[in-house]
Amino acid sequence: MITEGVPEKDAKRLRKYALEKGKIFNGPSSIGIMSAGECRLGVIGGEYKNLKLCNLYRAGSFGVITKSGGLSNEAMWLCAQNGDGITSAVAIGGDSYPGTDFVTYLQMFENDPETKAVVVIGEVGGTLEEEAAEWFGAEKRRIKLIAAIGGTCQDVLPQGMKFGHAGAKEGKKGLGSARSKINALREAGAHVPDTFGGLSKAIKQVYLELQATGIIKPEPELDEKLLPDLPPSVQEIMKQGDVIVEPLIRTTISDDRGEEPRYVGYAASELCEKGYGIEDVIGLLWNKKLPTKEESEIIKRIIMISADHGPAVSGAFGSIIAACAGIDLPQAVSAGMTMIGPRFGGAVTNAGKYFKYGVKEYPNDIPGFLSWMKQNVGPVPGIGHRVKSLKNPDKRVKYLVEYVKNQTTLHTPCLDYALEVEKITTSKKDNLILNVDGTIGCILVDLDFPEYSLNGFFVLARTIGMIGHWIDQNNQNSRLIRLYDYLINYAVKEEREVPEKK
Amino acid sequence: MAKILEGPAMKLFNKWGIPVPNYVVIMDPNRLEQLGEANKWLRESKLVVKAHEAIGGRYKLGLVKLGLNLEQALEAAKEMIGREIGTSVVRQVIVAEMLDHDEEYYVSIAGNRDGAELLLSNKGGVDIEDNWDTVKRLFIPLDETPSIERITEAAWEAGFVGEIAERVAKITSRLILCFDNEDSQSIEINPLVIRKSDMRFAALDAVMNVDWDARFRHADWDFKPVSEIGRSFTEAEQQIMDIDARIKGSVKLVEVPGGNIALLTAGGGASVFYSDAVVARGGSIANYAEYSGDPPDWAVEALTETICRLPNIKHIIVGGAIANFTDVKATFNGIINGFRESKSKGFLENVKIWVRRGGPNENQGLASMKKLQEEGFDIHVYDRSMPMTDIVDLALNS
Repeated sequence: MITEGVPEKDAKRLRKYALEKGKIFNGPSSIGIMSAGECRLGVIGGEYKNLKLCNLYRAGSFGVITKSGGLSNEAMWLCAQNGDGITSAVAIGGDSYPGTDFVTYLQMFENDPETKAVVVIGEVGGTLEEEAAEWFGAEKRRIKLIAAIGGTCQDVLPQGMKFGHAGAKEGKKGLGSARSKINALREAGAHVPDTFGGLSKAIKQVYLELQATGIIKPEPELDEKLLPDLPPSVQEIMKQGDVIVEPLIRTTISDDRGEEPRYVGYAASELCEKGYGIEDVIGLLWNKKLPTKEESEIIKRIIMISADHGPAVSGAFGSIIAACAGIDLPQAVSAGMTMIGPRFGGAVTNAGKYFKYGVKEYPNDIPGFLSWMKQNVGPVPGIGHRVKSLKNPDKRVKYLVEYVKNQTTLHTPCLDYALEVEKITTSKKDNLILNVDGTIGCILVDLDFPEYSLNGFFVLARTIGMIGHWIDQNNQNSRLIRLYDYLINYAVKEEREVPEKK
Repeated sequence: MAKILEGPAMKLFNKWGIPVPNYVVIMDPNRLEQLGEANKWLRESKLVVKAHEAIGGRYKLGLVKLGLNLEQALEAAKEMIGREIGTSVVRQVIVAEMLDHDEEYYVSIAGNRDGAELLLSNKGGVDIEDNWDTVKRLFIPLDETPSIERITEAAWEAGFVGEIAERVAKITSRLILCFDNEDSQSIEINPLVIRKSDMRFAALDAVMNVDWDARFRHADWDFKPVSEIGRSFTEAEQQIMDIDARIKGSVKLVEVPGGNIALLTAGGGASVFYSDAVVARGGSIANYAEYSGDPPDWAVEALTETICRLPNIKHIIVGGAIANFTDVKATFNGIINGFRESKSKGFLENVKIWVRRGGPNENQGLASMKKLQEEGFDIHVYDRSMPMTDIVDLALNS
């Protein structure tokens, strides 16, 4: 386990459970275990470069057991510098009650013929080092033991002071002090330098002795080719300019690699500061242009009047059903969003597209346009309404047209054209009026938005409404709903028996 | 380990049915007057007033006053609150009922690797250390609760007799529940007494340590741990503790007044060896500090600035072993920013900085640290080929 901050009681339980099962629990605040040239568990050993520097690609002759994670790495480095590297290294963790102890691993190293000596790095607190000394001194051991113990400075520091590790704390009456651990280990026959600085020398000395007695054979030279460097990352080579990578995507609207997002080059905060609004951000991100004051006012009003149209329409109703079914906000809004298509709200793009086509191809020939539409498209998108008619006009349309034409200086060829078309279609049928989709589509074309972006205005506006409906249903704690039977015409077969399958 | 003050400890005792004397904790002495109107015991009992702070040797410092009536208690509280003891200030006092008693008993529980150990003695009080061999010990295996019969037996063995043994056993069994359920590391009640007038037991004084890592499962732990080194935490220590509680990884600081070698060391293990190296060479450390577990750079920056502000420092040891996963470049960026900020505020004058480190992105980290030389820092940077604690020797020999 590689986790700091595990409660002591839980750590004790993990240890007990492992012991009952005949297993070893290493942790909780360990950084792992590794065997050189074999494998590693956890993050012990660090990055690739370090594995190479510490000769961890092949086994040496030293075992390493530490409480500290950082020092396990340091010890492996020292074993590589002053000896032939390690067989295995274990960080048991600096906890008050680690799941394992030095003795468990000392015994394993004693049983491992490849390991000739073991470096133990302990510290003030607990009794694991004393137990290690007792184990080492109890009988003649094959392995040599080298140890360094941290915390001798405790003598001159405030009594009761805590170091970084939870377990590094002297007990009452000097119990578990670094001094007593050093003494115990020395008495048991271990090499214990006075300071950490002496550890290199101790390792070197033991290594030379073991070599002299023939217990450690000289290491054969290793072919450098067997030790490749980790190939450089793409980022590194690109920095050196040696490689060009074909980009996967290309963007022309925004960039967040700097300190803050920039929309078509403009810093978002600067836009805020200079009084721009969400309409201008839409203009930038959808059309790469900053709208004029008048234009942004029109965009704003289009969104405002399209934001919601009551709970009964497909989009809002879809979101409400989902909200009642306990679906989360994004999914419920998507449910409503799914409704936007040819029959509901999705006509803005096509209306804009075809009226624009009319302006271009049949500028003074509306009957020509209508017959072209009839032959090639069908009903004119943006014309016609289920309930509204000439006598019962759509207020939103009236308002928008009047606002744009009378209160702004916007040049509106497309809208004018659509109004001319309306005159002809309504003469045929009362309800073939220019509807809100058509009006918005034409105005947006006149605002110079790309025609395929036009549905976006309806999607954006209705999102506001759908989120509102979702919040509303949640506020009310609405329950799951289903259609009443009387709202369904069950035009089904009578009950009958299922025939045997043939 | 987190030591808690008497007030919160008594609150936890109350929760688990362990008898404590009546008490109040106050910050404003005048509040005691009003509490006196509300509580009969304050008017009618003899009182004890104690500074409710992590200050060692309170009795000798005159921060414990015994046998007072309400008026005298008010005076004592007024006298104590606001008193400065070293770097600490007395902000709270605890006013408790004094109980007339003859005998003083000792009960404690301390956690160990396999569970906990119960200690019982009928010779408690200030002399407990002298009567240590009379203490009866009972091992409590992890997640097991000894039966009341077993505890009573232990009480007999500790010298308690008759009904008192039974009552002590009952209180002890509740204390075991409290220990177990409150994620305690140790509880020591000394003394436990019986009030003469009504034979009621009460824990007169208690020291309790709880496992601060377990605080997530204790909604009613409304206290903060207090310092265990005989003084309150300094403002700087408290600030670093607050940061430590908020981040991934950790930053730690203990100030050691009077020293001139500041430590800005990485790793729970290595930092101890750096302190050892300074002390072994006859130097005096100005602080103990440690950052580890790949903490965010801003946290290391805050620790750096705090350390740069330590008074009278001559050297800063930026030491560390070869990190496994702490990003040397990122954490060094925090340190570099901290150094720059401190220098611009006028600190680090005539301070030598000594750096030794290895680990992920060590080359970049060490290179940017080295660049500080160009900005006029007296900084000496070494990589992993420099033995870990040798920069301490270099500093002390310079």
